[in-house]
Amino acid sequence: MKNAIIFSGSGGQGIMSMGIMLAQSAVESGKHAVYLPSYGAEQRGGSAKCVVIIDDEEIVSPMTKYAGTFVALSDTGYNKFIDELEPGGLLIYDSALVTSKIERDDITALGIPAGDIALEVGSPKVANVIINGVIIGLMGIVSQETFQQSLDLKFAKKSEEVRALNRKALQAGIDYANSHR
Amino acid sequence: MPKKLVKGCNAIAEAAILGGCRFFAGYPITPQSEIPEYLAEHLPEVGGTFIQGESEVASINMVYGAAACGVRAMTSSSGPGISLKAEGISYLAGAMLPAVIVDVTRGGPGLGCIQPAQQDYLQATKALGHGGFRTMVFAPHTVQEAVDLMYDTFEYAERDRNPVVLLLDGCLASVMEEVEFPAAKELPAKHPEWAVGNFDGTPRARRTVSSLAGKEAMEQRNIRSGELFDSWEKNDVRVEKYMLEDAEYVIVAYGMSARVCKYAIQQLRAEGIKIGMIRPITLVPFPKAALDELDYNQVKAIIDVEMSLPAQMRDDIALQVKDRVPILTYGRSGGVTLMNEETTEALKNMIGGMNK
Amino acid sequence: MSKEMLRTTAIKPVPNTFCPGCLHAMASKLIGECLEELGLVDKTVMVIPVGCSTMGLNFWDLDMVSAAHGRAPAVATAIKRVQPESFVFSYQGDGDLASIGLSEILCAANRGEKITVIFANNSTYGMTGGQMAPTTLIGQKATTAPAGRNAEVDGYPTDMCALLSTFQAPSYIARCALNSVSGVKAAKAAIKTAFQHQIDGDAFSFVELMTNCPTNWGMQPLETFEFMNECTLKQFPVGVMRDRKEEH
Repeated sequence: MKNAIIFSGSGGQGIMSMGIMLAQSAVESGKHAVYLPSYGAEQRGGSAKCVVIIDDEEIVSPMTKYAGTFVALSDTGYNKFIDELEPGGLLIYDSALVTSKIERDDITALGIPAGDIALEVGSPKVANVIINGVIIGLMGIVSQETFQQSLDLKFAKKSEEVRALNRKALQAGIDYANSHR
Repeated sequence: MPKKLVKGCNAIAEAAILGGCRFFAGYPITPQSEIPEYLAEHLPEVGGTFIQGESEVASINMVYGAAACGVRAMTSSSGPGISLKAEGISYLAGAMLPAVIVDVTRGGPGLGCIQPAQQDYLQATKALGHGGFRTMVFAPHTVQEAVDLMYDTFEYAERDRNPVVLLLDGCLASVMEEVEFPAAKELPAKHPEWAVGNFDGTPRARRTVSSLAGKEAMEQRNIRSGELFDSWEKNDVRVEKYMLEDAEYVIVAYGMSARVCKYAIQQLRAEGIKIGMIRPITLVPFPKAALDELDYNQVKAIIDVEMSLPAQMRDDIALQVKDRVPILTYGRSGGVTLMNEETTEALKNMIGGMNK
Repeated sequence: MSKEMLRTTAIKPVPNTFCPGCLHAMASKLIGECLEELGLVDKTVMVIPVGCSTMGLNFWDLDMVSAAHGRAPAVATAIKRVQPESFVFSYQGDGDLASIGLSEILCAANRGEKITVIFANNSTYGMTGGQMAPTTLIGQKATTAPAGRNAEVDGYPTDMCALLSTFQAPSYIARCALNSVSGVKAAKAAIKTAFQHQIDGDAFSFVELMTNCPTNWGMQPLETFEFMNECTLKQFPVGVMRDRKEEH
């Protein structure tokens, strides 16, 4: 499914919340979205995976194996699911954490030093927001404003400092996307 | 109300509250633990009671106690837990008590696996407990439909004084989708005539809730169960007929499998294959007429698609189709779910195989 | 006619169907009297178990819910939770409570449910015809222990009062015996105290009543009383094991 995004990484990286945040903000901007976690032993610290589908039309079935976009934030996740990226698809990966060689030549690949950028922004915790910023910047599925609102809502109970940090991280991701098109 | 992205389990739990649920007892089991978790937090907000029972057995019997008081009561579980609840479900039916059981299915038998499956079709539709009774079984295929069906289940249960089952596979429980919630239902002003307790000081005859009966009375209750079943078949069948008009191949599928099939149908139709689907929304009563009334001069085959091996719904289909056309089956099972692309391919090959 | 001889209004004026000499009848009478004397008859929901006490469906003049075997404490839990103003109690035998329903009684007690459980212990499965119960004495014969209970394979009699006393929540736990006039008086006092605990909003209250089974023990009623004195009550001594009111 071209409009599907697979997120994968290790438990604790915020893979699931990346997917939920993106789907949520798509719905808030009037689009249709589904989020499907794959769970099990993964939920307890192993590898994590979820699929998000965003469309202008109602989504018939979320049970897609193949996706047009693949976000890999760990080497294990990359190797496990790289075959599920459709030919012509987009691979977004953390260039520090995915150490395997990117061998497929039928895809577009963009490596992001999300950990380094996160440290520059101010906290290693916001790496996943940076990645979401890149996705939004590259794919334009939702506007920066809408995603920003969803992000503020998610951290509504946290301090203004946390919200500011996330805003900064989102901007950094979008900037990275704009300079690497 | 604006649409929200909500997880299946949470949406069902919220719909239960909006539908008037004021009592829940349950025991943790994957993949439905978010239902009790949600209700533990939100039932007390509307003056309801949440109890984490010490076991599946105790939980369903707590539901029995609350239902005996005329309170809208429910429980939820998954295969291994539903097996244990069989006792209480039978007693609910025997004592003519309304209650709702949400059954989120996973792979089995035995401990099986926690991933989604549809292997409890027969248990839910035919074998929920000992003795002569049937229950209505609703099978939604989207989170929104799960919400809409859950919302009305208590009224069906009260109308019939009989338990009602909402059956959904683990996919639907864990997926997050857009949902629009209906307004909260107004609860009935008075407890039902038959409910025990609720004393208000006015003298009244004593009330007994019991499944024990002498043989003649027992037979009368069984006759009532039969009449209920007949009335559901007459009045309560719900079915979606999808692209059937010119269909030469008719899929029968429910729950998430039906959505995978819708995807496949769209792909196959683009390739010129005339295929459609009958999607039971009520598994009990089963949409017999929809199958019986197909034009078997046009239809070449019926394809039963479910996440169960061996296929379980096939027998209900066969009772209607008889030997008019072949009935093929396709499915994945044991926690391996049907996927859009693989299912499309499999259906294409099956149809190709028939035309060789 | 003295006041004590009047029939309690909690029980319908119909003959009970217990066997001649069975102390279930005495236990029922005491419970009925306590309900009446505490003004509870019109605000009680009684939970009926499975066993000889299921016959209570025919004679109790109360709102009743008949539960599955052993599940009465779970059913009573829910009833009391959804209508705390009602008086809720169960009357259960030893097969029902101490065997198939062991989990339900322990967990309801441990949660401190504000219900009362009256437990009739006659060391046998009466209704099904004298099979071995968890409370059957060592050496006591049963249809499923024809040579008598053997500790090697059957373990030892289950002491429910002792078990429940390990929990912090229960407010009242007592054991009485119905095979003597003094025992009957003590039992009535204990039942009344247990009921009072619930009326006062205290946690779980429990009274074990030692009873007999002339039919399945194969004894004349008077012989059963002697047997109880000589054997049963040595295994299950009477007494108040817990009374939170007295502790204060």
